[in-house]
Amino acid sequence: MTGGGFAGWVLDVDLTSGRIAKHALDMSLVEDFIGGFGLTIRLAYDAIRPGFDALSPDNPIVMGVGPLVGTSLPATSRVYAVTKLPTSGTIGWCGAGGVTFGYQFKCAGYDHLIIRGRSEKPVYLRIMDDRVELVDARSCWGRSIDETSEAFWKEMGWPTGVLAIGQAGECQVAFAMAYIDRIATLGRGGFGAVMGAKNLKAIVVQGTGGVRVADRKKYRELSESFLRTIRDYPYLKEWQDLGLLKSFPVMPAEQYHRIRKRRLACVSCPVGCKDAVEIPDGPHQGLVAYSSSAVNLSTPVLYGFQDYRDGIRLIATLDGYGLDMFEFFGVTRFVKTLVDNGLIPLERVQPPIVNDSLASLETWAERIALREGLGDILADGFRGVVREFGPETVQFAPALVKWMHPYAGPGAALPWDMFGTMELGQVLDPRGPHVGAGGSPTYFAKRPLEVFPKHFRRMGIPEAAFARILPGRDASGREQGLRIGRLLKYSHNWFTILGSLGICARGQVNRFYHADLCARLYEAVTGIAIDLPGLRKRADRIWTLYRMVNIREGLQRSQAEILPDQWFVASGFKDYFTEEPLDIESSERMIEDYYQEWGWEPKTGVPSAETLNDLGLK
Amino acid sequence: MGKYEILVDEMRCTGCLRCQLACSDLYIKAFNPGRARIRVVMSGVDCRIEFTDDCTECGVCADHCFFGTLQKTERRAAP
Repeated sequence: MTGGGFAGWVLDVDLTSGRIAKHALDMSLVEDFIGGFGLTIRLAYDAIRPGFDALSPDNPIVMGVGPLVGTSLPATSRVYAVTKLPTSGTIGWCGAGGVTFGYQFKCAGYDHLIIRGRSEKPVYLRIMDDRVELVDARSCWGRSIDETSEAFWKEMGWPTGVLAIGQAGECQVAFAMAYIDRIATLGRGGFGAVMGAKNLKAIVVQGTGGVRVADRKKYRELSESFLRTIRDYPYLKEWQDLGLLKSFPVMPAEQYHRIRKRRLACVSCPVGCKDAVEIPDGPHQGLVAYSSSAVNLSTPVLYGFQDYRDGIRLIATLDGYGLDMFEFFGVTRFVKTLVDNGLIPLERVQPPIVNDSLASLETWAERIALREGLGDILADGFRGVVREFGPETVQFAPALVKWMHPYAGPGAALPWDMFGTMELGQVLDPRGPHVGAGGSPTYFAKRPLEVFPKHFRRMGIPEAAFARILPGRDASGREQGLRIGRLLKYSHNWFTILGSLGICARGQVNRFYHADLCARLYEAVTGIAIDLPGLRKRADRIWTLYRMVNIREGLQRSQAEILPDQWFVASGFKDYFTEEPLDIESSERMIEDYYQEWGWEPKTGVPSAETLNDLGLK
Repeated sequence: MGKYEILVDEMRCTGCLRCQLACSDLYIKAFNPGRARIRVVMSGVDCRIEFTDDCTECGVCADHCFFGTLQKTERRAAP
C-alpha cells in the first residue's frame, strides 16, 4: 500500500457464476502504470482474451478511478472503463465525469472493478463498502436512465453513485451508452450494449471510508496555491455561468438563462459544465432535462430543428433510452437519404424519417432503442444498415470512421472545419471518434502559433520536441506551420496523464493543470516519488500498451486508420495553419508523423521493438 | 456558536461537494463527503443544505465554495 490516493483493492465480479472477489492492488503495476486510466488499460490487457465478440460473455469490462479521485483537487472525479466496443470492434476506453460515482467507489474501498461473464437474469451490482451483491434488477429492467437513477436515489438516498443503462443498452443497440448519475455519458461505440449483453442494468455504490493523502502538508501547499490560481482566473465567472456554451455559443445566452434551472458539477469541480433545464413554454412546458452540457441540448438545432424546445425534448428522449445522439442523427439521416435515392422502399420506413421533425425522430428513437420493426436494423448502426440494404448504399453514407459518425467534419454535428489534433484523433485513437481534446491548444478557435509553446509546456511536452511540432520557416523563408500529427502524440500523452490521475478530460477545467504540477500532486497524494519525465514515460507506456492491445485484436493501419474521403472535399476540413482544404498527401504525413513521434513504425503504426524495449513492454 | 455565520444561497449550489470534501478533510483527516458536518442534498433540480449538530461554524466549507453558495461573515461580539 502507498501512503494515500489508492484504496488498495480491485473488485472482481463474475456475473456467470455470481462469484465476487477482491484482490489487493498490485503496487508494482501502479508504479509502472500510474493508476486510473493507465492501470485500467493494464488490467484490461490481462483480463481481455483476444478474438472474442464485444457482446459475448467473454468480453470483460474493466473500470477504474485514479489516485486523485475523491480528493479536493479540482475536477478529479473521472471514471474510466475499457472493453471491446461493438461498433468499432476495437478495445476502447470510455470515460466520464464521475459526478458522485468516482468518489463513492473510492470511499467504498476500491480503485478498480472487473466485470466478467453474463448473468442469467437482469441484475444490478450494489457496492456498499465490503457488502457487494448482485441484486435482481427486474424492478428497473425496461426503465429509462432517469427512472432508474431516480429509483436508486429514492431507495438509497442521494448521493449514491449510479451508473446505469437505459432500454437501448438492454436491447444491445450498437450505439447505446451508459450514464453516470444520469448526466455523464460513458462510452460512445456501444458500452451500454456491452452492459446489456451481460444483463447488467446498473452499478450503484456508496462508501463510508475516506481518501487519504500521503503528504498532507505538501498537499495543502500545492492545492491552496492552485485553487488561488483558479479563483483569480478572469473568465472563471463566465465559465461558471455559461459552461461549454462559452466555447460553443450554439444557444443565445439569454435563452439559456431563461431555461436553466441549475448548473451541475461533478464532485470537486470548481467550474461545473452540466445542466438541468426546464422548458418554459410551448407544448413541452415544464419538461425538465438533465444534460452533460447545454451544447448537447442544442444539437438538434445544429441538425436543422427550428424550435429549440423540440430539440431539448428529443435529447431528453435519447438520453432516457441511453442512445448516443451523434450516431442516432447519423443513422437516421443515412436511412432517409437511402429512401430518397430509391435504395430503400418508402413503405419499409414508416412513418417516414423527417430530419427536423420531433414526432418522427421520437418514434424512431423508440423503435431503435426497443429494436422494433426496422428499428432493429438501425439499432446495429451504419454497419447494420449497409448489411441489410447492400454495399452499394455506402456511397450515400456520411464520413465514417470505424463504422461511427464523427462529431466534427462535413455533415457532422459540430460546426467547425479546422483540422486540429482532436479531429485527427478521431481516426488515430483505436476506440474511434469521440469528443476529447486531450488538453491540446487546437481545441479552441484558431490561435496564432506564437502562443503554442506556452501550451506545450503546460502539457509537459519536452522542449526538444517543440521544433518538430513547430518547424518554423524553411530555407526559402516560408512558414511551415503546425505539425498536427506530432502534436497529437503529446496530446494523447497529456490525456493519459490526466486520465491516469483522475482529472477531468474537458479543456475548460484541465486547462488549469500543468504537467509538472501533476507530477507533484501525484507525489503528494500517493507518496510515490515521481518527476515529470517519469510521469511522461509512464504515459508513453500506457498509450503504447493500449495500441498493442488493439494490435493483438488485429488493428491494422491499412484498414482502420484511414481518413474518410468526405473530409477532403472543398467544403471539408481545412489545414489548421494554412486554412487550405485538407489533402490526402498531407494527411498521410500527419499519420506518419504521429507514429514516428511515438517510436512506432511509420508505415504500419506498429510499435518498434526498440520502443517496446525502452518502455518495458517487451 | 462559532466564529463565523455561514450564509447559504442554495440556488447557486451545483452539487460539487467541495464544502463536504474540505470539512471531512479538516475533521477526520480524510476526504469523504458523507462524513462532513455539512450536507448538500440534491433532489432533481432542488437543493437543500444542512449542517449537523457538531458543526463548529469554522467556515472551511465557505472557503472552498467556488460558486457563491456559501459565504462566511465574522460574528460580532455581543455589546
